[in-house]
Amino acid sequence: MTAYFIRRLLLIIPTFLGITVMVFVITRMVPGGPIERIIVQARQMQSSLGMAAGAAEQRQPLSDDQIARLKAYYGFDKPVLVSYGQWLAKVLRGDLGTSTRYYDPVWRMIAERVPISLYFGILTLLMVYGVCIPLGIAKALRHKSGFDNTTSVVVFVGYAVPGWVIGVLLLTLLASVWEVFPLGGLTSDNFPDMPLDEQIMDILWHTVLPLTAYVAGSFAVMTMLMKNTLMDNLAADYVRTAVAKGLPFRRAVFRHALRNSLIPIATSFGNNVSVVVSGSFLIEKVFNINGMGLLGYESVVERDYPVVLGILVVSSLLFLVGNILSDLCVAVVDPRVRFE
Amino acid sequence: MNNTILRVERLSVSFATEKGRLTAVEDVSFSLRRGETLGLVGESGCGKSVTALSIMRLLPRPAGRIEAGRIMLENTDLLRLPAADLPGLRGRRIAMIFQEPMTALNPVHRLGQQVAEAVHLHRPELDDKAVGQEVVAMLKQVRIPEPTSRVKAYPHQISGGMRQRVMIAMALAARPDILIADEPTTALDVTIQAQILSLMRDLQAETGTAIIFITHDLGVIAELCHRVAVMYAGRIVESAAVETLFRSPRHPYTQGLLAAIPRLDRTPKAPLATIEGTVPALDTMPPGCRFANRCPRVMERCHLAPPPLVEVGEGHAVACYLYS
Ligand SMILES: Nc1ncnc2c1ncn2[C@@H]1O[C@H](COP(=O)(O)OP(=O)(O)O)[C@@H](O)[C@H]1O
Ligand SMILES: [Mg+2]
Repeated sequence: MTAYFIRRLLLIIPTFLGITVMVFVITRMVPGGPIERIIVQARQMQSSLGMAAGAAEQRQPLSDDQIARLKAYYGFDKPVLVSYGQWLAKVLRGDLGTSTRYYDPVWRMIAERVPISLYFGILTLLMVYGVCIPLGIAKALRHKSGFDNTTSVVVFVGYAVPGWVIGVLLLTLLASVWEVFPLGGLTSDNFPDMPLDEQIMDILWHTVLPLTAYVAGSFAVMTMLMKNTLMDNLAADYVRTAVAKGLPFRRAVFRHALRNSLIPIATSFGNNVSVVVSGSFLIEKVFNINGMGLLGYESVVERDYPVVLGILVVSSLLFLVGNILSDLCVAVVDPRVRFE
Repeated sequence: MNNTILRVERLSVSFATEKGRLTAVEDVSFSLRRGETLGLVGESGCGKSVTALSIMRLLPRPAGRIEAGRIMLENTDLLRLPAADLPGLRGRRIAMIFQEPMTALNPVHRLGQQVAEAVHLHRPELDDKAVGQEVVAMLKQVRIPEPTSRVKAYPHQISGGMRQRVMIAMALAARPDILIADEPTTALDVTIQAQILSLMRDLQAETGTAIIFITHDLGVIAELCHRVAVMYAGRIVESAAVETLFRSPRHPYTQGLLAAIPRLDRTPKAPLATIEGTVPALDTMPPGCRFANRCPRVMERCHLAPPPLVEVGEGHAVACYLYS
């Protein structure tokens, strides 16, 4: 078992190399890279400075020599694998480069955003597991009751409508029409002047709506997964054995059926970890939250490749580790699982 | 009869199906004496498990429903017992083991833990250490080798025969008055089956537990049981002491069953007798005798009303118009 997990950890290396090589090559092939952007900017500058119209506008604003120097600066003058190697060597030394947009170190830009994404991600996971598991249990035990049917309707509406649409609806209703919650951001304007307890309340108050939007999507899947697997297990022979032993039904459910029902939930843990890491740029945009999702989206649109690759490094590593954690969870709840 | 511990009286059970409520068990009566082994035999689908689950009050709900009858454990009607009293009945007074040793144990709990749970439930005065010793003693009693190390194993790590032994240990943990064994050996290899049967015989001699042994195999009945009740399509057709039933079966169905068993004293390689026709489905049960469509000695009155179970000799009852 230990050997298996060591092997899994080692396998991270080739997987990671594969992912990054692929994205690195794509950044070379997609049009609109940093050099083209600089050329466009320079051309705009020319025309706004009122230089001769017509012929001048058609002319290349930068000399070949300047372009060559830019290419060398961005590492575009070398074959793609050579510059990938140079990039990787820097990454291994802990240097993710600097943003081509802001000229800030990529590390610092990511480090500023990670806590926000982790904050929402971990809260989302806690909410999803903390609410869906008990809700699924309650629904299974009261199958086809009024409670079961109403919660199913709510849960599936939440599933059918995308998270960011729910966000817009919530904002319109609860922040704009009724002004119960703030319109966006993570803190109020006078946040720095507040005492600590008010600061905490302020953050929580800003958290409610975006968190609801985040949770809405995974809610249905996890709740119904919990409900259905528990119902399957309630009908299982070993639950009948437990009741035949003299265990009251409820105790048979909690001691016997429940742990077996957690196995598929543990399996799905790996998928949910990716939400923690990457966030959702649409929800972040709606609520004006500066998380990783928004940073990633903007850097792709703006062709800020060092940032794109930096985010990729962080999120793919977290994702790969999350998957191994998920396997560990399964092994913990199911003794039949023995990884060799 | 003071010797009787359990009496099933005119039990009828129905199930909700797509075709409406269908009666799976009708008018079933039998009694079990202290310390004896009663065989309940009949082909698959004749209502043996439903009868057993009714005694345990374990019928699937709300589909299964008891329509009529009484189940008297000494002086208590189990069918009138409030739900809150059932955990004190199950396991402690009547225990049950099931056909599928593969699925009847919880796959994620250790064997020792599962047996300990039964011990703990019915003997709460024991502390953890005493429960642990009791578990090892139980496993030793059902002849599981190396019981001290086996308690830590999971069900998937042991064989089907071993699992059935664990089930037996669990069932006997509270020293119940009655053990219902629902085809406990059907899923096992023949050699393992013989071991389990001999184990059950020995355990009964040691503990004096009365056993209802359910099977579709008359050979097993001959080996293990004192008395036997034969079921056909939801009804009891004949009941007698084992020797009587094998020596002089009265019901044409029982006679057909016995003729279908291969025996060494018959002409070698002679084709076995079979019973022509098929069992009627639950939704097409005839109003009269349910065996009438296959019976070689069918009469006109057989189609009118079901024949009552009548005494034809000492402890020998038959439900057939040939004898009444
Ligand atoms: N849960 C159920 N729903 C509907 N019909 C059932 C159910 N359980 C058993 N039956 C029916 O009751 C009859 C007797 O079944 P059972 O007692 O399991 O037979 P067996 O003698 O093989 O143990 C069968 O015809 C079966 O179809
Ligand atoms: Mg059965």
